[in-house]
Amino acid sequence: MKVHLRLLRFNPETDGEPHFEEYTVEADPMDRLLDCLHQVKWRHDSSLALRRSCAHGICGSDTMLINGVNALACKVLVKDMKQPVTVEPMRGLPVIKDFIVDMEPFFAGYRAVKPWLIPDPDAHEPARERIQTPDERERFDDTTKCILCAACTTSCPIFWSDTEYVGPAAIVNAHRFIFDSRDYGSRERLQILSGKGGVFKCRTAFNCTAACPRGIKVTKAIQEVKRAALYDTF
Amino acid sequence: MTPRPPFRTSVSNVLIIGTGGAGLRAAIAAHEAGTEAVVIGKRARKDAHTVLAAGGINAVLGTRDPEDSWEQHFIDTWRDGYYLGNPRVIELLVREAPSVIGELEQWGCDFARTPDGRLDQRFFGAHKYRRTCYAGDYTGRAMINALDARVTELDIPIVENQHVSRLLVEDGSCFGAFAFNLSSGERTVYIADAVVLATGGHTRIWRKSSSRRDENNGDGMYLALQAGCRLADMELVQFHPTGMVAPEEMAGTLVTEAVRGEGGRLFNASRERYMTRYDAERMELSTRDRVALANYTEITQGRGGPHGGVFLDVSHIGKEQILKKLPRMYRQFIEYQMLDISRHPMEVAPTAHYSMGGVVVDPETHATDVAGLFAAGETTSGLHGANRLGGNSLTETLVFGRRAGAAAAARAQSIDVQVRSRSRIEEANAELDSFIKEGTEFVRPLQRALRDNMWEHCGVVRSEQGLKQGLQKIEELKDLLPQVDVRPTSEGYDDLGHALNLRGSLFSAQASLLGAVERRETRGAHNRSDYPQLDEKLTVNLVSRLTRDGEFEISAEPVAPAPEHLSHWAKDDAHLEAKGRLLE
Repeated sequence: MKVHLRLLRFNPETDGEPHFEEYTVEADPMDRLLDCLHQVKWRHDSSLALRRSCAHGICGSDTMLINGVNALACKVLVKDMKQPVTVEPMRGLPVIKDFIVDMEPFFAGYRAVKPWLIPDPDAHEPARERIQTPDERERFDDTTKCILCAACTTSCPIFWSDTEYVGPAAIVNAHRFIFDSRDYGSRERLQILSGKGGVFKCRTAFNCTAACPRGIKVTKAIQEVKRAALYDTF
Repeated sequence: MTPRPPFRTSVSNVLIIGTGGAGLRAAIAAHEAGTEAVVIGKRARKDAHTVLAAGGINAVLGTRDPEDSWEQHFIDTWRDGYYLGNPRVIELLVREAPSVIGELEQWGCDFARTPDGRLDQRFFGAHKYRRTCYAGDYTGRAMINALDARVTELDIPIVENQHVSRLLVEDGSCFGAFAFNLSSGERTVYIADAVVLATGGHTRIWRKSSSRRDENNGDGMYLALQAGCRLADMELVQFHPTGMVAPEEMAGTLVTEAVRGEGGRLFNASRERYMTRYDAERMELSTRDRVALANYTEITQGRGGPHGGVFLDVSHIGKEQILKKLPRMYRQFIEYQMLDISRHPMEVAPTAHYSMGGVVVDPETHATDVAGLFAAGETTSGLHGANRLGGNSLTETLVFGRRAGAAAAARAQSIDVQVRSRSRIEEANAELDSFIKEGTEFVRPLQRALRDNMWEHCGVVRSEQGLKQGLQKIEELKDLLPQVDVRPTSEGYDDLGHALNLRGSLFSAQASLLGAVERRETRGAHNRSDYPQLDEKLTVNLVSRLTRDGEFEISAEPVAPAPEHLSHWAKDDAHLEAKGRLLE
């Protein structure tokens, strides 16, 4: 079948403003948008700039605004897209070229919440593994699924307008450690997240939950972190 | 304006090439030893091929089977590798496995747990006891997440998009690597006191491969060869028994062994559970070489399904178990075939999966033949012999990543002076220039020809005649290499990367074909239709190197001896009990 694409192009060397360009490619209904973009790049205009890597929805590098909704280009099927398909770069991050945005503000938020396991400072190195029951393991299972694709953060209206807000993905990754029974850094993280750029910026727009390609209940995770910060329960 | 320099320079103590399990573990070790480590990789951070490893990572913890021992792990690995593995490498692996898992757990890896909170362990094919730790069927991703968290915490730099074109060697000592940025083309000379090569294998050069596009194309092995290293066991390539057969662009994608670990059964088109004819005791959990050959035989003898595969059925364990234990497989088949594996069998066929051969390294330090150059992970040889046991390779990345990183740091801290050579750097720079030109050949068709060639002539079953034809084809493709069209434009330097990958692929393919010709026997993953028996005299490692004029030289080297008591045990314990080994 034919697929009509409207791509928001921007080349900093020649363009003052981004503009739409239209392309038509041939694709199978079971193909993915990424296949269509590859066709544009390989057969029509090799200057089209996009990030992609695994093409399996694991690496999280090809997030785009597809028909107004953030999604991974490698996961959206041609048959599920309304035509013409409008593709724009993620919002809220500076565009470098076409669909490539500067991810640094996103990763700065991620690093700010100390996304690594902070062990009990008083504990001796255990001889074996630390004990963690399947229920304790289950507590943070949902948020381990994050692939840092930024679909949630760049669909968040607060993140668009407030450069201080760490954004949903950073909170999801904080949640992953705050609710891990082996972690002792929760108080530190909650202090960071109670600050100006933290969880209380969230106005529960739910855009993040809708955007997550991994099906993580992002807003729920944020609410759990808010509650932990307020009532000291984690 | 200052003119743009031809290349930038970056200086560190330890340069790690590759951001997978082995590379990240090496970086952590080098950093913890007190040196400055820099990691460079082709892809985005956390997108190394390790994330595709599904099933698990082995260590004798005795969580489920307290009677397990490191000696037994040694024996399983050594014997099922048909005694071609290096006993010292195997011993280090099995003895240090528990501690690398422990570390990973300390860094927050979310392994599955037993009801009483310990690390759960499951069966993997041909292991005598349950010793495989796992996180669902995304163990590799869980590992990379934990390693990356540690790397982030230690603030070790990872430079993305870096394609290495050459290792810099002067006077027999490696002082860095030459690389360019795949999107901007900017070139960087990475100068270091020691280099760790953690660049994966070469299985993508087969038509059906469990590797992603443009990865595992043997370029790392070529870098080592070109630097002066030897490669061993290159003919020993593991064909995983179960890869997807459709859709076309997904053919070869892995269907994890965990499916059989969780009770999956293999059937042919007439619903016969044919493993009874190949290994009645171990059935679907037999060694990978046997199951792959069984699947291959059923398919080639006309008992396969519509897409040229056999059927793997896991529907009897129930949807709930499947969603819990095999979530990614469930999703993979829903997404790519609209097939619900809790109701219908999957059609599968053998797929090139793992390079058991690779760079020759010292067992203890994983130092190569070139001073200052270390290697770890799939890119090395020595552990798996003629058949790799599932779950051993993730352990390998950590145990030997740690050792290589520490040894590289020790070198950085012990040398008084590091040789550098401007002329070597200029050569590397000129070499890249020489690739960029208009040409009459395009990389993709040549790659395709290479992959078809390897599948046809160096696949699951091989013969002298076929291998010779395969070598002939390699020569033809090598002749075309200088005519490849490479025109980087504003879309990036992918073209240049592909051309360099192709060069690496051709050399590693040639090493595999040459080894396969010389190994006139059938052993493990290497099946010769003209030599169907194992030949005791060939209990050797076939080693290849490049001569000064760029020709291959291949020789047989004796396998290192095993400690007496383990060698006796291995031979006494030859008959495995199959009872209770299926998780049904």
